[in-house]
Amino acid sequence: MAKIALPRPKGSGSSKLRRHEAIAGFAFVLPWVISLLVFTAYPVLASFYYSFTQYSIVQAPKWIGLDNYVTMFTADPAFKVSVYNSAYYAFLSVPLGLLSSLGLALLLNMRVRFIGGYRTLFYLASLTPPVAGTIIFIIMFQPRGGLINGILALFGIQGPAWFTDPNWSKPGLILLSLWGVGAGSLIFLAGLKDIPAELLEAASIDGANAWQRFWRVTIPLLSPVILYNLVTGVIASFQVFTSAMVIGGTTGRPQESLLMYFIHLYRNAFRYFNMGYASALAVVLFIAVLLITLLIFRSATRWVFYEGELKS
Amino acid sequence: MSKTSLVRSSAISRRRFLKLAGLGGGVALIGACAAPAAPAPAPAGEATPAPESAPAAGAEPIVFWTPGGSAVYCQNFNLISKAFAEEYPGLTVADVQCGAGDQNFLEVLLARIAAGNPPDTTIIWDSPVSLAVRGALEPLDDLMQASKYSQADAWPPGVLASCQWQGKTYGLPTAAGTYAVYYNEALFESKGISSKREDFPKTWDELRRLSKEFTVWEGDTLKSVGYPLTMVGTVELNIFSALNGSQFYDPANNKFTINSEQNIEMMEYFLDWLNEEYKGDINAVNNSANWGFYPDSNGRPPEFQNGNVAMLSDGFWVAGDMYGSEVKPEAERWNVAQYPVGPSGSGTKSGYWPNWMVIPKGAKRREDAFKYMDYMSAIGIITWFEAIPDMPTNKNVDISKLLPKKVAEMRGEEFARDVLMFFYKQLDVATPMWTSPVQNFANDQITRMLERVYTKQATPKEALTEAQQACQAELEKVMKM
Repeated sequence: MAKIALPRPKGSGSSKLRRHEAIAGFAFVLPWVISLLVFTAYPVLASFYYSFTQYSIVQAPKWIGLDNYVTMFTADPAFKVSVYNSAYYAFLSVPLGLLSSLGLALLLNMRVRFIGGYRTLFYLASLTPPVAGTIIFIIMFQPRGGLINGILALFGIQGPAWFTDPNWSKPGLILLSLWGVGAGSLIFLAGLKDIPAELLEAASIDGANAWQRFWRVTIPLLSPVILYNLVTGVIASFQVFTSAMVIGGTTGRPQESLLMYFIHLYRNAFRYFNMGYASALAVVLFIAVLLITLLIFRSATRWVFYEGELKS
Repeated sequence: MSKTSLVRSSAISRRRFLKLAGLGGGVALIGACAAPAAPAPAPAGEATPAPESAPAAGAEPIVFWTPGGSAVYCQNFNLISKAFAEEYPGLTVADVQCGAGDQNFLEVLLARIAAGNPPDTTIIWDSPVSLAVRGALEPLDDLMQASKYSQADAWPPGVLASCQWQGKTYGLPTAAGTYAVYYNEALFESKGISSKREDFPKTWDELRRLSKEFTVWEGDTLKSVGYPLTMVGTVELNIFSALNGSQFYDPANNKFTINSEQNIEMMEYFLDWLNEEYKGDINAVNNSANWGFYPDSNGRPPEFQNGNVAMLSDGFWVAGDMYGSEVKPEAERWNVAQYPVGPSGSGTKSGYWPNWMVIPKGAKRREDAFKYMDYMSAIGIITWFEAIPDMPTNKNVDISKLLPKKVAEMRGEEFARDVLMFFYKQLDVATPMWTSPVQNFANDQITRMLERVYTKQATPKEALTEAQQACQAELEKVMKM
């Protein structure tokens, strides 16, 4: 069969065309690049700079070296409280969220009637505006006459005062975070759909029971998705803001139990006008989340399995 | 001419179309960035009023903002603006920007000041001193002196103090709700206690004794309260400090006095009261019910209107607002009284929460904006009051002509006028408040102090000293700027 002779681009014409294409390409990505530089890169770098200054938005920033960091670690009791609250929230809400969304995904992966409807319903919850979702939970968690305590009362349990009791406000907030598991479930569901049916069938033929198939086949093949949900979950949990703000305000009531790190950051920036100190808080949060993420990635070599990967 | 050439000459190629699209997009982007900043429209559901006043041809209207509020509150400003334009030919006011949509109002205001594009005047609900110290507001003394209604002596000194910093005035306290103690007459009478205003307790000891009469526990649940101590918030604590002869911040010497002897005495007194009447357990008190005037963040109804609170301190606005919740028959007859005096105090005091009007730094129409503020404080405030009964503070306002409609509707005109005059006179005994350059920080520290004392995490002296040190350090940091 004769080869089709493609016309060879001539030297000068070709480079001109390539140049035009390159210019057009750059022109098209330019808005995105500008947006990235102006609205993402610049604020990040500026925030780093402001963390070494005293800055109140209106007046020019004044260089104060490491003062903001020294204050943070030695003279700000609210910093320690907010770190504790955020860590408490993250270390409980992330695993609970992962387990709930995985469980939900397994249910949504079943072949039952109206499964499409169920999937939509569970995902819809995560589309609810966070403020509205929080208010719904506040009503549900009302100490007297609330749905949750009403259900507990049916079993003879006197429910706690939830968001007015400092001992129960954080658990309440963690339960509230489960409202958005629909989004995580959808990612897990996509992962579950990717698991080859023949592997599960082969395991069945080899005598593996349902639990063994889940633990030995499903979980390892789902581990990259677990890693993704874990990392994004940890990042989001340290940034919890709206729900805590709606319930506890800028003082994290009751008794600073809902004073999350991001609320402390926000109130320093826009309530106390300490933009420099708030920037320092943001830098510390960035470094902390980065270290935790790196730690997770480092540990991932032990428990995340990629299809086709050979382990020694 | 061939068909091909026709197409080539008249149609736009895909490449050319994409080029033009890219170019158009770029121009649009640059245009959007360079467009003069206009007030951001409030999102659907926000109280954005319909246009009422149109600027006169050729004249730049005065740009006026307010931090938010109901549709009635916001729309009313456009009526006032229209009347102002009639009073001052040649001047117009743009439709009020009510709130900042999804964003924090102060955040937006500060950003606009920093960008050199602020409104000409705005109402603020945060202390003007805090903003003035940071260079965000224009001093107004020269304008006040030349004004029709707003000379310094036209304001109650204790209230104007909230706008003053180091000898300069940075705002007008156009409206300010004063504070007093509301009480349930029927509950008093049920115990054979006089419900006359003049017979209300005059000292904290009397108040405490009376409070005990009404406080009823059922196991660990509080069923009714006399004076719910736990409802004394940060703002009211300033008043209680003044009632005990002290204050939290001394503007004359620019220093905090949070851990003054009188304040330590006050917190020890409150703690003792909490232990005696409320089992020393603030959580049990708070978890039992909502002892306030408004539904709380947990959706619990207010117990004052349920007839389970005998006495409770709050501002003038509550007189109308309390009918926002169902008022049970046993709470229908309420009255107001002055605050009792603390052991180290010398006379009754009150406090206030103003709607301040200010001119942001960099406002383009300073003098015209002040005319609007001046008009609002003495004339516009009457229209304002008719829609939302915020107490006028300017002495040029004839208060006797005003009537809080909701109270009149529920309790009759005579009672409504009496309540209005009572709260108005509270301006005369108003202690200076909102005078610290780090007001929000101090408020949060005082809230923290209260919680630490009531939950026994610290003694009153320790908690007050912690708050004192934190606030003084913050103040010194700000003063170095």
